[in-house]
Amino acid sequence: MISKRKKFEIPHRHQLIQQFDLLRVLVARSLKMQYKRSVFGIMWSLLNPLVMLLVFTFLFKLVLNLNIPRYSSFAFSGLLVWNWFQMSLLQSASAITGSRELIRQPGFPAAILPVVTVTTNLVHFLLALPVLALLLLTGEVKLSLMLLELPFLIALQFLLTLSLAYLIATTNVTFRDMQHLMGVFLTVMFYLTPVFYDASTVPAQYLPLYRLNPMTHLVEAYRSVLIQGTSPDWLSLMMIGMIAVSLLVFSYKNFMRVNYRFVEEL
Amino acid sequence: MRNTIVVKDLGKRFYRYHADQSVTLKEAVLSGWRQMKSPEHFWALRDINFSVAPGQMLGVIGSNGSGKSTLLRLLGGVGRSDQGNVRVKGRIGALLDLGAGFHPDLTGRENVIVSGVVAGLTRREVVRCFDSIVEFAELQAFIDNPMRTYSTGMQMRLAFAVAVHTKPDVLLIDEFLSVGDLSFQAKCLARIAQFKAQGCAIVFVSHNAEQIQQLCDQVLWLRRGQVMAYGEPEVVAGQYIAEMHSETQRRTPVEQPPLLTPSGTELQVNKNRFGSLELEIIDVCLLNSNGLTITELESGDSLRIEIKYQSRQPISAPIFGVTISQEDGLPCYDTNTKLANLSLPLIQGQGNIALELKRLDLRGGKYFVDVGVYEQDWAYAYDYHWHVYPLIVSSTTTSKGILHSPHRWQMADVKVARL
Repeated sequence: MISKRKKFEIPHRHQLIQQFDLLRVLVARSLKMQYKRSVFGIMWSLLNPLVMLLVFTFLFKLVLNLNIPRYSSFAFSGLLVWNWFQMSLLQSASAITGSRELIRQPGFPAAILPVVTVTTNLVHFLLALPVLALLLLTGEVKLSLMLLELPFLIALQFLLTLSLAYLIATTNVTFRDMQHLMGVFLTVMFYLTPVFYDASTVPAQYLPLYRLNPMTHLVEAYRSVLIQGTSPDWLSLMMIGMIAVSLLVFSYKNFMRVNYRFVEEL
Repeated sequence: MRNTIVVKDLGKRFYRYHADQSVTLKEAVLSGWRQMKSPEHFWALRDINFSVAPGQMLGVIGSNGSGKSTLLRLLGGVGRSDQGNVRVKGRIGALLDLGAGFHPDLTGRENVIVSGVVAGLTRREVVRCFDSIVEFAELQAFIDNPMRTYSTGMQMRLAFAVAVHTKPDVLLIDEFLSVGDLSFQAKCLARIAQFKAQGCAIVFVSHNAEQIQQLCDQVLWLRRGQVMAYGEPEVVAGQYIAEMHSETQRRTPVEQPPLLTPSGTELQVNKNRFGSLELEIIDVCLLNSNGLTITELESGDSLRIEIKYQSRQPISAPIFGVTISQEDGLPCYDTNTKLANLSLPLIQGQGNIALELKRLDLRGGKYFVDVGVYEQDWAYAYDYHWHVYPLIVSSTTTSKGILHSPHRWQMADVKVARL
């Protein structure tokens, strides 16, 4: 009897482990592919935001002083959050189109590819967190218990990014313009998100429009948890969460609907 | 035993995209959304039916573009059919593309892990049989080198090694063994035989009809997405080989629309008509001794076969041939102009040629008069009508033999026993 029950349960568990392994192996694969044959390797995921931080510090502390306290912590936290979002969306355009050899394998779940893209960039994000912590500590920021809310923010950003990633990946299969379009769109969004400046300086009459950008709320939420040590605006975050979940359901369903065509379009 | 693979009325349609098809958003907007989908399509596969039982091996043969790889991909669940359905039970091990999902910049080791997990194993399972995979592929010395340094044969060995270690219930192999060296091929074939014995259902695609004939239990021959033949390997592979060797086949125009002969039979290229059609047979009439067109005669009657031909270009010394064959293709009578030492001149335009048989002494039954005209050295057929003109031979007696000669029994020297 027991052995019979075991037989029923094992395939299910095996499948879960297998799917998790698939994600893990593919994330490792894409990390390795990014930095194969490069000298600095994974260090690049740190070097890029650090260089940007230097430029911002020079520009907005010395050239145009924005008068933001603890600017390096402020800018670096914004940069990391934004980079995760931006790189995920940029790479999700080619998540399907660049994985022809995988999609043509029988039984390969193509739906895992956008997850791989977002997770790969999450790894970069997490790897940079110690540097952020260093900046925070040297910048005399008192780390508070609010830090415990950080995983929720990360989960929320993951969902939001993933829901968009499915949409972009699907669209780019038929319209290769999507990857170029995303480049332009994300550049614009970068300036419309308070990455290197404070949203409080945005003129009041533009604020309602400005606040429609979900990344504004996310970046500010990260900062309130990390730097100010205050609880973020959970109401707006809940709304973003609801939008992200419903968008994810829609974009995932849409993805699965056209999934079978990918092989032929590639 | 239940079949592992069941394919029913399978059809797959592809759209033929034009070169000026809008691919980018801008082009799509400019040309209007409606023109995005080209209405032009073709069937890459149509009306395919077969099944494979556990422990059976199905061979798929056909020339390039016949739909073999498309079929294999549909079996693997890659892409969706437009008609009918495919049912495959169990884990699929597949060797569809040479790369098998390998990435050129990763090492053999890294690729094996990825490939194994993609094929449905957990990471731990791959790690557990990793040494065995590498040993099977005979790549111990190279496993930590990047994939791009591997030869095609080495990649194939590694891909095969991974596929056989995923313990598949179904194995799909596409033109695979052709790249490995002979000793490794033998090793793969031995492993395939072992899988078969363990009850794995195998579908094997190859150009090599002899190999298919040796290995498979059944053979499916595809041409332009349709089943030409399906059945015993000896028969189907034999037919395939015969056809591939035939120069006629190569020269038969593909685009020729079906024609109706004046006597009302439909002629379809590659179905009942083969040849280059440089010289065409327009019609064939079967006449009795009174000069009337017939389709039926009494055994022993005379038969006149009139062949009307036409050629647009001058043709030198063609050979006309007539075969009377049974429905199953067995020739009963066969003759030609060359056999009679008749040499035709350089001919052009329309003409008539007739063959007179004084008696047709065949047993009663259905026959076909197959008519052909060939190049002067038999190099290929100009036109050959196969099983187009039926002929019923009626007879008052029935017999097992084909020949029904006029006969008489003599019983002069029979001694009657005295009781």
